[in-house]
Amino acid sequence: MENSVTQDGIATVLSNQSLDSSSVRPEIVVQVVDLKPVGNRYTFNANDGNMKMKAMLPATLTCEIISGKIQNLGLVRLLDYTVNDIPGKSEEKYMLITKCEAVASALDSEIKAEIKASTGITLKPKQEFVAKSASQIINEQRGNAAPAARMAMTRRVHPLVSLNPYQGSWTIRVRVTNKGVMRTYNNARGEGCVFNVELTDEEGTQIQATMFNAAARKFYDRFEMGKVYYISRGSLKLANKQFKTVQNDYEMTLNENSEVEEASNEEMFTPEIKFNFVPIDELGTYVNQKDLIDVIGVVQCVSPTMSIRRKNDNEMIPKRDITLADESKNTVVVSLWNDLATGIGQELLDMADNHPVIAIKSLKVGDFQGVSLSTISRSNVVINPDSPEAKKLKSWYDAEGKETSMSAIGSGMSSSANNGSRSMYSDRVFLSHITSNPSLGEEKPVFFSIRAYISFIKPDQTMWYRACKTCNKKVTEAMDSGYWCEGCQKKDQECSLRYIMAVKVSDSTGETWFSAFNDEAEKIIGCTADELNNLKSEEGEVNEFQTKLKETTWSSHLFRISVSQQEYNSEKRQRITVRGVSPIDFAAETRLLLQDISKKKTSQ
Amino acid sequence: MDTSSPSVFVNGALMRRYVGQKVRTVIQVIGSDIGSVVGKSTDDLQIVVRGSSPTPPLTTYLEVIGIAESDNAIRAETWTNFGNSFGTHNYNELCKLANGEFKHLFI
Repeated sequence: MENSVTQDGIATVLSNQSLDSSSVRPEIVVQVVDLKPVGNRYTFNANDGNMKMKAMLPATLTCEIISGKIQNLGLVRLLDYTVNDIPGKSEEKYMLITKCEAVASALDSEIKAEIKASTGITLKPKQEFVAKSASQIINEQRGNAAPAARMAMTRRVHPLVSLNPYQGSWTIRVRVTNKGVMRTYNNARGEGCVFNVELTDEEGTQIQATMFNAAARKFYDRFEMGKVYYISRGSLKLANKQFKTVQNDYEMTLNENSEVEEASNEEMFTPEIKFNFVPIDELGTYVNQKDLIDVIGVVQCVSPTMSIRRKNDNEMIPKRDITLADESKNTVVVSLWNDLATGIGQELLDMADNHPVIAIKSLKVGDFQGVSLSTISRSNVVINPDSPEAKKLKSWYDAEGKETSMSAIGSGMSSSANNGSRSMYSDRVFLSHITSNPSLGEEKPVFFSIRAYISFIKPDQTMWYRACKTCNKKVTEAMDSGYWCEGCQKKDQECSLRYIMAVKVSDSTGETWFSAFNDEAEKIIGCTADELNNLKSEEGEVNEFQTKLKETTWSSHLFRISVSQQEYNSEKRQRITVRGVSPIDFAAETRLLLQDISKKKTSQ
Repeated sequence: MDTSSPSVFVNGALMRRYVGQKVRTVIQVIGSDIGSVVGKSTDDLQIVVRGSSPTPPLTTYLEVIGIAESDNAIRAETWTNFGNSFGTHNYNELCKLANGEFKHLFI
């Protein structure tokens, strides 16, 4: 028996699907062929000359392989194993070996049936061994879809929410809910490539994992959208808020030594896509922000696809607009791009008459048409999701929504984006909302729109500064003549005046002070700081300067403002800055008031 | 404020409630004849306004105050050009509120 395999050993294995040390142990010796590493363990094909079967060795035996005890083309005696199905391929099975011992080192060749039938083992030319790169190996592994081990049995699977940077080893079981493209970058340290995936666990917690260079190349093909993996040996760090796309304080980095194994034989879990829906009427605050939002709505209409030429590379991209409505009685247009436009977009067009409810994850909020939503590559569209929100929305729509007249959230907004009027009608507050909430803007500035009156401009305040004509920075009077600009490092004979003023504003709920800079103050006052300064210096019975300021008061404007916290004399104070001023559009304001009235009615 | 002769905000549909009473409404002028103007109410009904119309040109929108003669005719006393752009939807909603839930706020 020394150098030969058990005849029909594989058949014995298959008929004897699990073997442990307590049962009677049939002597099964098989040849190891196609031995190769998968993660921290090895797989091979068990060969008895007649049949082959996929097999996996436990991680505890990895050292025996490294030390050369178990070799490719060598023989092993199976001591303890189980036979499992490969999911999706019912006829194919694989053997999970938990105990085995080496019987013989590498034979010269793979044992073949006909050889066995005659003289046992004859010499055959040794198979050529080609050095393989990691990616080749990965390709091969993917080629014959090496089954993963039941890591969950040996290690406890951690919920994603429990991970932190100070933890030792952990294993997570996650689904790839988003896969980025491989990007190359070029910086001071040279070229590199990077890609990231979004992972979601059973509980719906998400985390972003990033891989650079070798790790990126190693795992790029392994991670497939929608599949489930065991991952361990990654590192965590605090998430960079600037780039973060999922709700998690941490993000994960995987390196070459991290372990990523597809959990193909696991009972599939479906992570819920966790949504954090923003009602359509509250979208205004997200306009042109970095935050991505989720939305749920009833499909009102679906456009045909259009081709849009992308500005930066002239590529034609398919786009489709859908209009969604929700219980706020507002509608918003969502632009689906690329595959979402042609794929799920077509599906939506076909079923548009039934007004399905759709939920979309990760949308950008733009200011096109006032407020509009756009999909990005990682957006996710779910038609008729099975969730309480969807049910509620559907029943609302069937009961009353269909009959209700809706208004587009972005309507009535001035289209010029630079006057700050972008979402003037969607995040409207009263002054009391700001003044009664002193901690507003503590973390980061918050933006609102307010319709209010200028009630007072102190005439004796310093309302402008001398500014450099090129860079608008403050200049100082030069020694001899002219003005010195620190920013430009040069002297100019002239300077211009730019406003920086405090104005008192009032609405029906109270009053407060706004600071206004040049462009906005010009719109409020109606002339430039230089012109106002000229009026001020004019002597005369009627002071034109005073008159101008008086004219300015008790006129109403739409203000776009930011609220932030500022430390002044070691005391925190709210600072409200005017970011945009625009004239009142009375029709739009009336519409807003009507909306408020109907909202009050329904809430009563 | 003169409250001796109040006029009710109406759209086309509300006129029939106030036949014989003073009403005010805004119409979109469709055509004018000697002694009458035909217009469209903010709820898309046709209204005939009789009386001496103001000297042309009439703007697209016209406010008229007068006695409702029938459910689609007004004898106007006051004519006001309301310009060429007007939020008809808002006006229509105002009429509904002023004759419905918030009637008590109007005279």
